[in-house]
Amino acid sequence: MTDVLTRRWLMPFVWCALLLVGCLAMSLFEPVFRWLEPDSRDVVYARVDFLVLLGRHLLVVTIAAALATLLGVLGAIAVTRPAGREFLPLVAQVASLGQTFPPVAVLALAVPVLGFGTLPIVVALLLYGLLPIVRNTLAGIEGISPSVLEAARGMGMTGGQILRQVELPLAAPVILAGIRTSVTINIATAALGATVGSSNLGDPIISGIVNGNTAYIVQGALLIALLALAVDSVFARLSSR
Amino acid sequence: MIELIHITKRFDHTVAVDDVSLKIDGGEFCCLVGTSGCGKSTTLKMINRLIEHSEGEIHIDQKPIRSFREDVLRRRIGYAIQSTGLFPHWTVARNIGLVPRLLKWPKSRIDTRVEELMSLLGLSMADYADKYPDQLSGGQAQRVGVARALAADPDILLMDEPFGALDPITRETLQLELRDLQARLGKTIVFVTHDMDEALRLADRLVVMHEGRIVQQGHPLQLLREPANDFVASLLGGEDRGLKEAALLPVSERMVPLGAGGVARERIDQTASLREALSVMLWRRVERLAVVDDDDIPIGELNFRRLVGARVND
Amino acid sequence: MALGLLAWWSLPVASSAPNRIVPGDAVYAWQVAGPAMAVLASLPMALAGWVARQPDPGWRSLGLVLLALLGLPLWLVLCVHQLVDPQLPQARLGIGAGSWCTLFVLLLALLDLRTRQRWPAGLYIACLCVPLVVTALCLPLGLDRLALWQEYRGRADDFWLAVGEHLLLVGATVALSLALGAALALLMRRLPALQRAGFGVLNFMQTIPSLALFGLLLGPLAWAAQRFPWLDQLGISGIGWAPALVALVTYSLLPMVRNTFVALEGVDRGVIEAARGMGMSRGQMFWQVRLPLALPVLLEGVRITTVQAIGLTAVAALIGAGGLGRFIFQGLGQAAMDLVLLGALPILVMAMLADGVLGNLSRRLGRGVTR
Repeated sequence: MTDVLTRRWLMPFVWCALLLVGCLAMSLFEPVFRWLEPDSRDVVYARVDFLVLLGRHLLVVTIAAALATLLGVLGAIAVTRPAGREFLPLVAQVASLGQTFPPVAVLALAVPVLGFGTLPIVVALLLYGLLPIVRNTLAGIEGISPSVLEAARGMGMTGGQILRQVELPLAAPVILAGIRTSVTINIATAALGATVGSSNLGDPIISGIVNGNTAYIVQGALLIALLALAVDSVFARLSSR
Repeated sequence: MIELIHITKRFDHTVAVDDVSLKIDGGEFCCLVGTSGCGKSTTLKMINRLIEHSEGEIHIDQKPIRSFREDVLRRRIGYAIQSTGLFPHWTVARNIGLVPRLLKWPKSRIDTRVEELMSLLGLSMADYADKYPDQLSGGQAQRVGVARALAADPDILLMDEPFGALDPITRETLQLELRDLQARLGKTIVFVTHDMDEALRLADRLVVMHEGRIVQQGHPLQLLREPANDFVASLLGGEDRGLKEAALLPVSERMVPLGAGGVARERIDQTASLREALSVMLWRRVERLAVVDDDDIPIGELNFRRLVGARVND
Repeated sequence: MALGLLAWWSLPVASSAPNRIVPGDAVYAWQVAGPAMAVLASLPMALAGWVARQPDPGWRSLGLVLLALLGLPLWLVLCVHQLVDPQLPQARLGIGAGSWCTLFVLLLALLDLRTRQRWPAGLYIACLCVPLVVTALCLPLGLDRLALWQEYRGRADDFWLAVGEHLLLVGATVALSLALGAALALLMRRLPALQRAGFGVLNFMQTIPSLALFGLLLGPLAWAAQRFPWLDQLGISGIGWAPALVALVTYSLLPMVRNTFVALEGVDRGVIEAARGMGMSRGQMFWQVRLPLALPVLLEGVRITTVQAIGLTAVAALIGAGGLGRFIFQGLGQAAMDLVLLGALPILVMAMLADGVLGNLSRRLGRGVTR
């Protein structure tokens, strides 16, 4: 049993471990970075601890994703109930049209409206992250075979029972895939948030670009990539259960 | 007892069911037949309020169905449909136990009931209880669907083309089983189908619908012998009606006592239908059959003139 | 509608500033020309909201929404005349959050009307164009004082150059990934062993954030350029268009390969069997049956890739690949919001245009192909 458990969670564990090692022991690899960037005085980003940056990055993404999941799933449920069905076409259209907006543009447009700093990033991520979740929840619920729903009603299940025992469990894999897409995009977009005054793992990259320090860029890029892979592997594990 | 009193259903501007009155007695097997779009499914679904009727009243045991809450009403009525509508994320056992669980039966009682139903429908507990619907064949899934409809022991069972998607052999087996089940359990069954042979085989009362109205109703034999109009006649098989009628009558009905001419060589079981008897005569090229009982002992004789019911002076 | 009115009244509709450096003063709707004018301006919207509740809204509703849309540029003209000091050549008017939100709500209303009434696409596009034309006509009337226009005028050449760079990079990405993706997909059909590994790797690459991938390519490419001078002479180095293109193609490969593969695999078995039964050769089957039937799904891949590439190219500006993203990041760096808009709006328009055109093409081709 434990054997199966370890094998199943091996990949997420490996990525998380690498990520932590990267955050805690980046200075150990100083010689490598020194070779990459022989001219600079500092070759390991030290303005803020990597762990702190990682924490901020995760915090922003987690808050945005949690709110987006809550709002997205609730919203999609609302427009698939008889009372809200009137708005279904509009919401579905907006969700699919909104996904053609490039995340950078969304981020850039959020700044004039919301201002600089971390809060606008959270709001922008939240809004953008809503789209795949809403779309997938809609697809998941709408994709359930009509005969299953007719049988459920015919057996005398109430609306709430159908939602909780039939619709949500059957739509769950599709909803989870939506959350996964949303989080993957959010991690990438949050990194860009460093350009609009939110401090996170994007910081070393931006600072590296500004100062012409390749080593910083590589460190930031490495950690963001590891974070994305770690989070994605957790989702992969959850969805293949 | 189910009673539909001047029921009309309108969808926007089209009338799907037009002033239908129908009385189905307790324990009766009632088949609604007709071409597609004639309103038979709509009529069925109005009984458990999956579709709300526009005018008239529907009574179950003298009480109007609108005096019950929808879900309470539906839990009292079994419901089985063509594509089974089994929940794909639940095991067979859990699917069957759905309505008892909705009615908050204690767990032990649900378990016993599920076991009972599975053996009633010939599904072995060990093999099927933990399977998921997509691991079942069409016939097995439909058995589970029927078991689920029967789970809370409802007095009434509504079935909407339940065997429509099955191959002919499985379909016939399930029809015989259903007939048998109904005889044993005494349920009131309302059954929608467009397969006339199925309807004739199952029904105590056959209701023919056309363009939202009831054209004729009564016992299958009555409809076969005295169709109200050409539509009913052609729906019931046109020139084939003779064979269909023969299929409903047992050999024992036309049998004569053993005569002096000796026992005929070809035999037929007394419970077989006249149609089967006719087929045997055609195949064996004989005019006389010996009718035998379960122990293969001759108890009478059937000749061609008797089989076709020819009048004596013909 | 109620939301639009709320935004109109509660958020600043515009901001005026004497020049580029000073942040503008926020102005609310009723401050522009008195409350009466603001009420008048919000009338069409309120009416449209009311009409939408009536039994048969259709055309009346559309008229009112259009009226409100047309009113918006005129309103801005009014703002310019009331707020901007004509004596200062650098004075400008920024479009405030209130106006943006109003515009957004109006467009949403238009979209909603379209889905409800099932109007043809042509009418819809015409409706979208009308406000644009009016805005253009209003330019000499004072809209040239809009900060956005001022930013554009300051760098008109640069702007079109950036648009060109952007399109070139996107075009190159789509072309390259189409060629590579198709080749890879065909190869995968031949070698099933490659399928799992191929999709695995491409999926893996897709999860790596764009900024990180750009960063990670910087090292190896810079190193390669140092080692092999001829690469350097080609213009390939750690920053610039080379890593951008590599990264963009890497991202584009997954949707391209997946759609090509699925498209070719997804062709109905019955059709293939019939084609074989009629005695078509392998080549004939591919060119006359498989490819035409697969084309809509294939185009869908091109659409996804293009839209994605348009957005990612903006990020590539960070590593010096040029394009419209440059304005965004410059603007963000200088806190010049209108410069950000100058970069972001065309990107948005490009993405939506690409989406609309390619989506339409794919649907049109797919008309005869029922799946």
